[in-house]
Amino acid sequence: MSINLTPNSIAAINGGDLNLKPLVQVLDIKQIGTSQERYRLLISDSVSTHHAMLATQLNDRVKTGRVKKGSVVQLIDYMCSDVQNRRIVVVLNMETIVLDCDIIGNPKLGDMTAQKTVSNLNSAQPGRSVYDNRGNMQSFRPAFNAQNPGSNNMQGLQTNPLLQSQGMQGSHPMLMVPNGSNGVLRSATGKNNNNTQTYAPTVQPPYQPPPSYRNQGPIMKNEAPARVIPISALNPYQGRWAIKARVTAKGDLRRYNNAKGDGKVFSFDLLDSDGGEIRATCFNAVVDRFYDVIEVGRVYLISKGGLKPAQKNFNHLKNEWEIFLEAASTVDLCPEEDGGSIPQQQFDFKPISEIESAENNSILDIIGIVISVNPSVPILRKNGMETQRRTVGMKDSSGKSVELTLWGDFCNKEGQNLQELVDSEMFPVLAVKTGKVSDFTGKSVGTISSTQLFINPDIPEAHVLSDWFARIGQNSAAVSISRDLVPSGSKNEIRKTVSQIKEEGLGRSDKPDWVTVKATITYFKLDSFCYPACPLMIGDRQCNKKATRSGTRWVCDRCSQEFDECDYRYLLQFQIQDHTGLAWVTAFQESGEEIMGYPAKEVYQLKHEAQDEARLSDVFRSRVFYPYLFRLKIKEEMYADETKVKITVVRADKIDYSSETRHMLDTISRFRRY
Amino acid sequence: MDTSNPAILVNGNLLPTHVRKRVRTVIQVLNSDRGSVIGKSTDDQQLVIKGSPPSTPLTKFVEVIGIADSDKSIQAEIWTNFGDNFDASSFNQLCQLANGEYQHLFL
Repeated sequence: MSINLTPNSIAAINGGDLNLKPLVQVLDIKQIGTSQERYRLLISDSVSTHHAMLATQLNDRVKTGRVKKGSVVQLIDYMCSDVQNRRIVVVLNMETIVLDCDIIGNPKLGDMTAQKTVSNLNSAQPGRSVYDNRGNMQSFRPAFNAQNPGSNNMQGLQTNPLLQSQGMQGSHPMLMVPNGSNGVLRSATGKNNNNTQTYAPTVQPPYQPPPSYRNQGPIMKNEAPARVIPISALNPYQGRWAIKARVTAKGDLRRYNNAKGDGKVFSFDLLDSDGGEIRATCFNAVVDRFYDVIEVGRVYLISKGGLKPAQKNFNHLKNEWEIFLEAASTVDLCPEEDGGSIPQQQFDFKPISEIESAENNSILDIIGIVISVNPSVPILRKNGMETQRRTVGMKDSSGKSVELTLWGDFCNKEGQNLQELVDSEMFPVLAVKTGKVSDFTGKSVGTISSTQLFINPDIPEAHVLSDWFARIGQNSAAVSISRDLVPSGSKNEIRKTVSQIKEEGLGRSDKPDWVTVKATITYFKLDSFCYPACPLMIGDRQCNKKATRSGTRWVCDRCSQEFDECDYRYLLQFQIQDHTGLAWVTAFQESGEEIMGYPAKEVYQLKHEAQDEARLSDVFRSRVFYPYLFRLKIKEEMYADETKVKITVVRADKIDYSSETRHMLDTISRFRRY
Repeated sequence: MDTSNPAILVNGNLLPTHVRKRVRTVIQVLNSDRGSVIGKSTDDQQLVIKGSPPSTPLTKFVEVIGIADSDKSIQAEIWTNFGDNFDASSFNQLCQLANGEYQHLFL
């Protein structure tokens, strides 16, 4: 039978036409690459020939003999890119139309070039010598092998548009001039389509969606659905693409205001069955279309989105591109694939020992056993907003432990969960995706907005870890990379004496210093030991901002509300002393109550309402000269024109003499006499 | 504070070096009798404390101050209840330091 191949399709493909779906003949198949299997085809359109790399997913077509030398195939999906002045074609999908066929037409060797010498030889007869662009004579043989015998430096690569191809004849100049002087080129670059109807193959594969053209004047676009490609193959120079992936993370809906006005945006992360990941972002109207459609854990078929370079500041996925969904984009839920080949989540865990050498602010995933959970601490951020902070100790089989800092919502949700598990001695496995390394005190890991925490995840690494913990880990000591020096008991604290605070200039760097000091309270400032606080709740915490009197009621600036009763919270200022010196410190509510033993409200009432001076001074006097183990936060702050070093008591613990003695004995043993 | 009659801090191992001297130590009461108490020193040695214990019942740990009359017994003059919670290992280390390089700080 005689089949007409799509003439000049080689030229058209090289010209950038990716929607042609031409019929071509495979003249040769050669296996390239040492470590990976790659096949290189020589395809012909009966006039000229070109090399095309076969995408690895089609390898078994060759292996099972569904494509052979001489097969006529229809190229369904393919990519073209330019690497080092060479045009590389990669076939992503094709269908064999005729398995065995004689050579059709008179295809000649070599790529289409703009040089007249080759174009003159369009109708080369078999056996005739042709000139390649080097001017070297080369005789034409229908079934040839390597054009350049010898050098075989093909790298085995995945479907990556940037391929090194072997066998391109020399280094010829960039081929396709858009409105080419070469009369063979019919179309310019872009989506212009040849109407292949006149050359329609006699065999049409049944499932191939037929090209459906919308007649839009001189440009006719193929509206048929695109083929699904792996996420790792996405690039902006791709033609139509579609990906099938699972949503691994869904960001919050964020509103913003910039020079162009108000807008809203949300992003979600996708993972496909090859392990490729990419972030997709929607703006404004597109948000409304997709925000409710996208659910974490479901699989979607996404197509017709734009591709732009990924913003590395926010996007920590391993992909140089990001998808931007637009008005024409499509997102379709795939119900049947829910349990399928796409994993729920992809991690790249690093052992805790590697965190030590990780760069500050780098992003990584970790997994470990949670061995300690500290209570939440309110932190005032630079923008004046208060947030919660909670630290969690984790250790893994590398023998190292690290402090994980939870911020904001993580403190209450996952933090509380972890606290309960640790308190009941069921030390859970915690997997952290997208944590940020910080070198604040030693090396620690903190959560960011795109962090995800998984408690006791059902993944192999978690099972291995809990197994290790049960057998070895819970009894072995781990070296913490999150604090400097002096491990004392379970907490790694820095012990200082009062005089060292001034001597060593603690608090003067841009980060506050956290130290532990054993000292005795020697004097209380009686004037203002507490303040009226707003009792209203913001989320699940009290506002606690200073409330101002408004007639008989109170009003809070932050909440913009009035209320009858205010809360009284400690703002204790007192002097502490040890054998080296004395210092003024401030304690807030929690440590204040610990020290005073009475709630602030009671002491306040004693002073202002009962006006009982005697009892008031009794109360204070009874609390003085008690020693405590103070946990201090020392920071230099600006007051008007001068800088003062402010010391805040974060915790005031009664002395546990047993452990304190052991600490002292430890210190003594390290003490050297000169 | 009366420093006229200092007592040396000892444990079981150090007692023999201070026979016929005034010593003090803390023992864990094993057996209590009329006239003597068998106790375990902080380094797990058995000591005999002679003398009459006070009328109040003895707690688990007791400090005794008295004259060492042999390398395993003390004639106690003062008995002090130290309660049931006592960090024996820390006390033991204290004895070693008090008799070792920091002796001069104690006597």
